[in-house]
Amino acid sequence: MREVYVIGIGITSFSRLEYPLSEIAAYPAMMAMRDCGIEKVDHLYVANMGASRVSGQTALASAVVDTLSLTPAGAEAIENGPASGASAIKQGFMAVASGLHDVVLVTGAERMREVNNLEATDFVATLTHPIAEYIYGTTLPSLAAMFTRLYMDKYGVTSRHLAMVAVKNHDNAMNNPFAHLHQPITLEGILDGPEALTNNPFVSDPLRFFDFCPVSDGAACVILASKEVADKVKRPRVRLAGVGQATDTHAVHEREEPTDLLAVRRAAEQAMKMAGIKPSDVDVAELHDAFTILEIVESEEVGFFKKGEGHLALEKGETRMGGKIPINPSGGLKAKGHPVGATGLGQAHEIVTQLRGEAKKRQVKDAKIGFTCNFGGFGNNVVCLTFMRED
Amino acid sequence: MNLEIYAYKCRKCGQLHYPYRMMCKKCHNNEHNAFDPVPLPHKGKLLTFTRLQTLAADFSVPDIQLGIVELENGIRMLGQLQIAKPKSGMAVTGSVGVVRQMGYNTYHGMIFHEAK
Ligand SMILES: [Zn+2]
Repeated sequence: MREVYVIGIGITSFSRLEYPLSEIAAYPAMMAMRDCGIEKVDHLYVANMGASRVSGQTALASAVVDTLSLTPAGAEAIENGPASGASAIKQGFMAVASGLHDVVLVTGAERMREVNNLEATDFVATLTHPIAEYIYGTTLPSLAAMFTRLYMDKYGVTSRHLAMVAVKNHDNAMNNPFAHLHQPITLEGILDGPEALTNNPFVSDPLRFFDFCPVSDGAACVILASKEVADKVKRPRVRLAGVGQATDTHAVHEREEPTDLLAVRRAAEQAMKMAGIKPSDVDVAELHDAFTILEIVESEEVGFFKKGEGHLALEKGETRMGGKIPINPSGGLKAKGHPVGATGLGQAHEIVTQLRGEAKKRQVKDAKIGFTCNFGGFGNNVVCLTFMRED
Repeated sequence: MNLEIYAYKCRKCGQLHYPYRMMCKKCHNNEHNAFDPVPLPHKGKLLTFTRLQTLAADFSVPDIQLGIVELENGIRMLGQLQIAKPKSGMAVTGSVGVVRQMGYNTYHGMIFHEAK
């Protein structure tokens, strides 16, 4: 296998974007090409989940490659639920590593705010098991809620721990100009104070409004290239050193131990093994906190903390900026936003920015090794990536 | 008429599957129609639950209760609940009823009540 480098990156604000989906996808691609000074690419992958259902558009990649005037380069869309973004990066990795292509542009985009929140939630709910879950009215928030209750019963996680994740990630997002939510919150305001129930009502108990990520439009892009190409690019050098992916049962209730997220564990193991690192080597991570509980559990499953002890590390401040392993310096899905098909690319964008040392006020000091976990389904299809700064 | 929801038993190794599979998860039996439908038990233990207040637009109620139940034979399933004060570990009994109406389509599923 050839080594694969991230030579260019770009991103939009995650918020509401009033442009056609193909232009939303093309914008960060343009920025990424400017970032590395590349004018031609061999191939494009376009990550997206809802184009056909939410945006009424099919064959998105053909529209994006033309919008960018990059024809006749090959182009295809990658749909893998909320893990579409990291899946597309993995496809790009394989294309460069195999020697098939030298320069591959991977962009991801979603336009979810074209529909109201209930329609957006139902659109995402269609990824659940059609017979054993969806027909009952199951949504991702309800699966997360039932999972959270099990975790609370078994490991002693409390609503306070969940609120601490939300407060931390909202704080981090204050230093990220691309984040959807620039809204500092406090434990007093969402948990302890007299207004907490009004500010933070139950959505699916035990989960409340501030346990969920917002519904966002947005896009992000990385350009991957071989070493020969990367050698000519005058930007700090970051290598995509490991990719991992694993699946689990479609229906959540069927898992042998319902509090395990085995696909996260296995994908992370692969991504770290390929890069030749262990969890304690990671300096900064972006984990898929669509629900606050997920940041805690993923921090255990990827190996940063022992199973059942992620909430204790959170209490000690180990996951905040300046802690042992800062998690979600971007604000995470929780506050940066979650344009589903683009999320994996958003995570990669943040990690490359951190490893380049260009994250300004949210810079994790001396970050050399970064890690992302992009969580599809309710943990039934997970892609993890390891990035390394090289000098 | 007593409606049932079915698990699928592998004809080769006896492994039960819920929901349905095309190939056996234990012995990987890949013969066509290799499963016998077996009705799921109606009694079980509630493992976890939630009251969901943001529903898809086709629901005409403000909220629904969902839960995961471990049935008597060890198979787990997700169902709707109609239980005033659900508690983890409580005994429940299920019956098959309408759980969702989407346009002209009516969907049946298991609805659990507190066991008497
Ligand atoms: Zn079998």
